[in-house]
Amino acid sequence: MSSILELQRVTAGYKSVKGFKSLIKRVEVVLRDISFTVEKGERVAIIGESGSGKTTILRVILGLLKPISGKVLIYGKDLYSLPSDQRLQILRRIGYVPQDPYKSLNPVLKIKYIVGEPLEAAGVEWRYVGERIREVLKIVGLPQSILNDTAEELSGGMRQRVLIARAIIAEPEILVLDEPTSALDVSIQAQIINLLNSIYNTLKVTMITVTHDLGVAQYLADRLIILKSGKIVEEGSVDEVLRDPKSEYTKSLITSYLQITGINSLNNIKIRGQYV
Amino acid sequence: MPPSLPFIRLVHRNLRKYRFKIGLSITIAILVLSLVSQYIAPYPREGLGYVPVGEESRRLLPPSPQYLFGTDTLGRDLFSRVIMASRSAIIQAFSVVFLSLIIGLIVGVLAAYFKGLVELVLNYLTELFMAIPSIVIALFFRLTLEAGFHVVIISLVTTWWAWYARITYVYAKGVVELDYVVLAKLSGLSPAKIIMRHVVGVIIQPILVQAISDLGSALLEASGINFMGLGLPPGYPDWGVILYEGISEMGIIAFTRAPWLVFYPGLFILLTTLGFTLLADPLREDLDPRLRRRWKLWF
Amino acid sequence: MVLAVRASGISIGYIDEEEEYIVWAVRRVDLAIEEGDAFCLVGESGSGKTTFANAIAGILPPHVVTRGKLYIFDRLAIDESTWNFNGLRGRVVSYIPQNPGTSLSPFLTIEEHFYHVLRDTLRYDREKSRRAAIEALLKVGLDRGVLEDYPHELSGGMQQRVLIAIALASNAKIIVADEPTSAIDANLRASVLQLLGKLNREYRVTLLIVTHDLASTSIVCNRLAVMLAGKIVETGRTISVLRNPQHPYTKMLLDCIPLLGVKKPLKPLPGEPIQVVEDKAICPFRERCPRAIDKCVEEPPLKPVGDEESHYVKCWILTGGESE
Repeated sequence: MSSILELQRVTAGYKSVKGFKSLIKRVEVVLRDISFTVEKGERVAIIGESGSGKTTILRVILGLLKPISGKVLIYGKDLYSLPSDQRLQILRRIGYVPQDPYKSLNPVLKIKYIVGEPLEAAGVEWRYVGERIREVLKIVGLPQSILNDTAEELSGGMRQRVLIARAIIAEPEILVLDEPTSALDVSIQAQIINLLNSIYNTLKVTMITVTHDLGVAQYLADRLIILKSGKIVEEGSVDEVLRDPKSEYTKSLITSYLQITGINSLNNIKIRGQYV
Repeated sequence: MPPSLPFIRLVHRNLRKYRFKIGLSITIAILVLSLVSQYIAPYPREGLGYVPVGEESRRLLPPSPQYLFGTDTLGRDLFSRVIMASRSAIIQAFSVVFLSLIIGLIVGVLAAYFKGLVELVLNYLTELFMAIPSIVIALFFRLTLEAGFHVVIISLVTTWWAWYARITYVYAKGVVELDYVVLAKLSGLSPAKIIMRHVVGVIIQPILVQAISDLGSALLEASGINFMGLGLPPGYPDWGVILYEGISEMGIIAFTRAPWLVFYPGLFILLTTLGFTLLADPLREDLDPRLRRRWKLWF
Repeated sequence: MVLAVRASGISIGYIDEEEEYIVWAVRRVDLAIEEGDAFCLVGESGSGKTTFANAIAGILPPHVVTRGKLYIFDRLAIDESTWNFNGLRGRVVSYIPQNPGTSLSPFLTIEEHFYHVLRDTLRYDREKSRRAAIEALLKVGLDRGVLEDYPHELSGGMQQRVLIAIALASNAKIIVADEPTSAIDANLRASVLQLLGKLNREYRVTLLIVTHDLASTSIVCNRLAVMLAGKIVETGRTISVLRNPQHPYTKMLLDCIPLLGVKKPLKPLPGEPIQVVEDKAICPFRERCPRAIDKCVEEPPLKPVGDEESHYVKCWILTGGESE
């Protein structure tokens, strides 16, 4: 196995720049000393509540935020020390599905231009793009008839499918998902989870999911990385972490999750092993 | 895809509203008038400002079938002058708004898209120009240049673009952080394309609507500058100039002695401004659902 | 037994912008909530659950049309197309909005929030409202220190507790909570739900919780109703519905919930939750239902299930395809 993504002691944060005071830069550190590796073909979930820095990790991976210290290696190359054209080449191998399907689609653009944009940006001729758009729409289960619609005419679930179609159109090797289901209804959430897993199986991608929902992570990942206020508190396979959580924080996450789905205690569903 | 398409759809959607229809008819009427006025005016030479032969017997005649709006202090037919002035109104309103819009759009979008120093400098520049009154600029140009359209247009554009830069900046700032801009950046789309497609394309509608409703204010300000004698030369067919001539010649008694002198140019300014406002208002309402239904009681 | 809420044949619709047609969000719903119940309305987006809850809370927007009758503690609140919530809204029924972050004014301290609400509903003065606020805050597990804070100084969970405390302080008998857990992190959800459950048990507050999460209902609610396209398709005691779901839609919802530690496949049915514009008498689930029969083009009656007390379901398959 070869590592496809590696974070080495990454510390990252945001500069607060205001007015003419920009000469004095204040940095608010969000991530502290984060290191982890993602192997090719793995499904990894990064778990954290709001403010834990999980969105910042995403920005660092996607090349949007240069870490203060540490390295981000994708395919063994240090993302932030590459010249910008090579960095773009590497970033094109990442498909990204953003968090909120209601804010992530340009409201005035037709769906075909939204989905085809990554290929257009890579300089592919439009007639080939059109063919490929039809293919990916079939994969994500959208009708061809929406190609000339704008996003405003679509429901939340369809928007999310459009975003997934856009993410996979350039045949990425890494799929990065930011809270892929949090804005959706329960039945649509299940549809999207199943869709993502079937994409994982057929396209053989590496999947990195960022979420606050352990239940969703369990379905979309084999390995969990648990984040608390900018630090990794636990890392391990899903079964390991759920069965035998090492840190107090993970335990509390699992407990509170089991409390909400009080349905577990109803006897028509048998729980496989006691986790807490 | 051209960003104007949704705008055309927006206009189309509003064609049924009475307010929009009235506004559109007034605007089209003024536009047509500005094109044909010199052919339909009964005294086109007087309209252009030439003082007629035997003017002394024609001074300050009240409205009559021969002189529909009466005559002015120099015996010229006010009807010809007022309808021929529609052309200068249209030229001034449209060029001021159009030029300001172009400059403001570019500055505002660049400031919002390229953060850091560019944003800082452009924003301070915008604020600087917002603080200068256009009258002062007009005065300056009037003293250094000849009278003419360029004085009015330059002095208004100098301050107006800053307002468009500001609203563009505010709208664009809300858009550039959204995920579709991030996605486009990640896929390596060129900044020019991202700006046109994902920033300008999305925010253009409310700004165009703002521009349409500003046509009226631009006309008012232009008329103000002309009224003070800072813009167009005396005698030129322009509503502001006509008002200026009437009042400067007679003083305040023009209102009682020859009310047509102030009534007709004033009425045309009012109607034209109203037309632009009625045109823009339903569009604005359409874009901002919070404004809906409040007006329903009116029409 | 006192009924806190009784709806008979209630329909609520939104008038379309051009006033050409009416979108019926709630369609001829009959419902009874007893005093002291913790009732849960479950449904996906577009099911009309929020509209129905808003009607009970008395915060309908001005451009809606209503039919049927709604009684709150035997007072007629909605009578066909007219409604009158005076004396009910804010006093008998209180409302907890969905998003705590945007529901509190950033310019007022928590104490002022209490004061403005209590002054308008109960004519309290500052001193009295402060005492009531402290008492209510204690009930929700916050101390009096937060009174001087501004909303942004509190965490999301604390803001949610403050909203609950405001609802409590007005001595409301019914609390309507719209998606109380959807805007806060997963690990805080349990505590908010437990708090609501505690209020229900200890202070006999009637609860109406609106949610899309069927799984979380069981820890608070003793009764629930599943809504689909403006209609209640299944209702009953929480335990009996969750253990023994009858309607295909309820079953699907249960199949879609990811359960921690249980590796069962999620089985969503294809299609999206529908929004019905026309008020047709058909089964709204017909097109997604795997077991649909010819009879499903007619609207099924709400029939009791087996010998289970108060468990009703609206489906032809379960009533044997027989009409009454």
